Amino acid sequence: MTARVAVTGLGCISGLGQGIAATWAGLVDGRGAVRDLSRRFAEDERFAFAGPAAFIDAVDGGAVETHAGRRVMAQLDPVSAYALAATHEALADAGLLDQPALLDEAAILYGGASGGNVTLEEAYGRLFLKALPTVHPLTIPRYMTSAAVGQISMLFGVRGMAFAIASACASSAHAIAEAMHLIRAGRAKVVIAGGSDASINYGSWTAWKALRAMAPDACRPFSAERKGMVLGEGAASLVLEDLDHARARGAVIHAEVIGAGASSDAFDLTQPDGVGAVKAMRQALADAGVNADEPCLISAHGTGTPLNDKMEAQALREVFGAGLDRHAVIATKSAHGHLLGAGGAIELIAGIRALQTSLAPPVLNYLGPDPDCALPLVLGAAAPFAGEVLVSNSFAFGGMNSVLVARRFG
Amino acid sequence: MSIDRNSVLDIIAEEALIDRAKLTPEATLESLGIASLDIISIVFALEEKFGLTLEQSDLEGVESLGQLVDLILDRARAESPLLSQPMLGKP
Repeated sequence: MTARVAVTGLGCISGLGQGIAATWAGLVDGRGAVRDLSRRFAEDERFAFAGPAAFIDAVDGGAVETHAGRRVMAQLDPVSAYALAATHEALADAGLLDQPALLDEAAILYGGASGGNVTLEEAYGRLFLKALPTVHPLTIPRYMTSAAVGQISMLFGVRGMAFAIASACASSAHAIAEAMHLIRAGRAKVVIAGGSDASINYGSWTAWKALRAMAPDACRPFSAERKGMVLGEGAASLVLEDLDHARARGAVIHAEVIGAGASSDAFDLTQPDGVGAVKAMRQALADAGVNADEPCLISAHGTGTPLNDKMEAQALREVFGAGLDRHAVIATKSAHGHLLGAGGAIELIAGIRALQTSLAPPVLNYLGPDPDCALPLVLGAAAPFAGEVLVSNSFAFGGMNSVLVARRFG
Repeated sequence: MSIDRNSVLDIIAEEALIDRAKLTPEATLESLGIASLDIISIVFALEEKFGLTLEQSDLEGVESLGQLVDLILDRARAESPLLSQPMLGKP
């Protein structure tokens, strides 16, 4: 019999704060993390950048360093520091920090859209701005896409299969989906899955601006007058575990991951076509054995860009049909911003907390309906949600789509 | 900022992420967990802060922290005669 997949650990860090408790409190209370950012690269006015963003002021690495018994955080790119903070919380939550034998066999599938941007910017700044001949010798191991994976493995003694998964803003959703399949296939009992991204630096910021994807004001998913996305940063980690294994060791089970679907648009690098999104959602629901009539909490990709939201609303209408209105749609990017490669994981976590508490967090910054996005949105304040199923969408640049389905447990 | 024993130890502590208090002269690099990549980072930081150029091959055979610090200070004195003052030399 195919193994069932439990979620036994949750951890995250974002502009909303460090840890699940702070994050969930912010989401339920409708406290957005978006603030006015104003920074300069290399203390140079020529490289000033400013605008709304959901940024992290500082990472508290105390628990990580206590566990490690040494200093580690100061020499890491933020992409790895965030990953360690989130993963420490998830492993502590799962009761695995002091289980070296289980970690020895555990796997890591961790997503990221672009690796250590801050490190790379520092290195290129030396070369081109200061015309220096060398860069820090740890530039490569700090910025490589799999840097966070290596750090997680080393710090927690995880010795099973480990690698990074990259599909831009769907990276961590793909990582969680494949973690589910690993466990179903009997190839691992415990998998650390999630993602991390830290792109609030001069170069990345300028590149996002050049794409004209960033909103000048706020992230307003599915709203009239929405103008784009708001950049966030952070990491989210989950411990996925063979359900019988989790039960046998008496672990607390937060939810069950019951299905996943994935597809590619084969259409455009940045524009979504909707066909791929529909395909991935249908595949995920079928894999989960969930009928589209069963009340679902839908954690939308909901970036707040005019095109994505319109496409996603149409795709949801196509998949759920006339019964769409019996479901509830949330879009937490309006609160924590776009975490890029970590987005799928933090949004799945938000959905799982919603299932656990029967409370759906509100979509923020809504200015009024857009006829192209007629959805049963949770607006104004957190609303009761009595259903048991969560559908979490991630639709990335390059047309890479990943949809996860989870069910309340117990 | 001039180079002396203290500033060299500061750099080693920062680059190799070791508590400053553990950096005693007799401690071996191995016991402190100072690996080859840490040495490269320390060499990089010395060049950054003091313009001191060292090749990794200069450090071959160095086993204790005291040897490492002495070698760095010797090199600094050789490159900059101004630093060859007794107060900065070996105890």
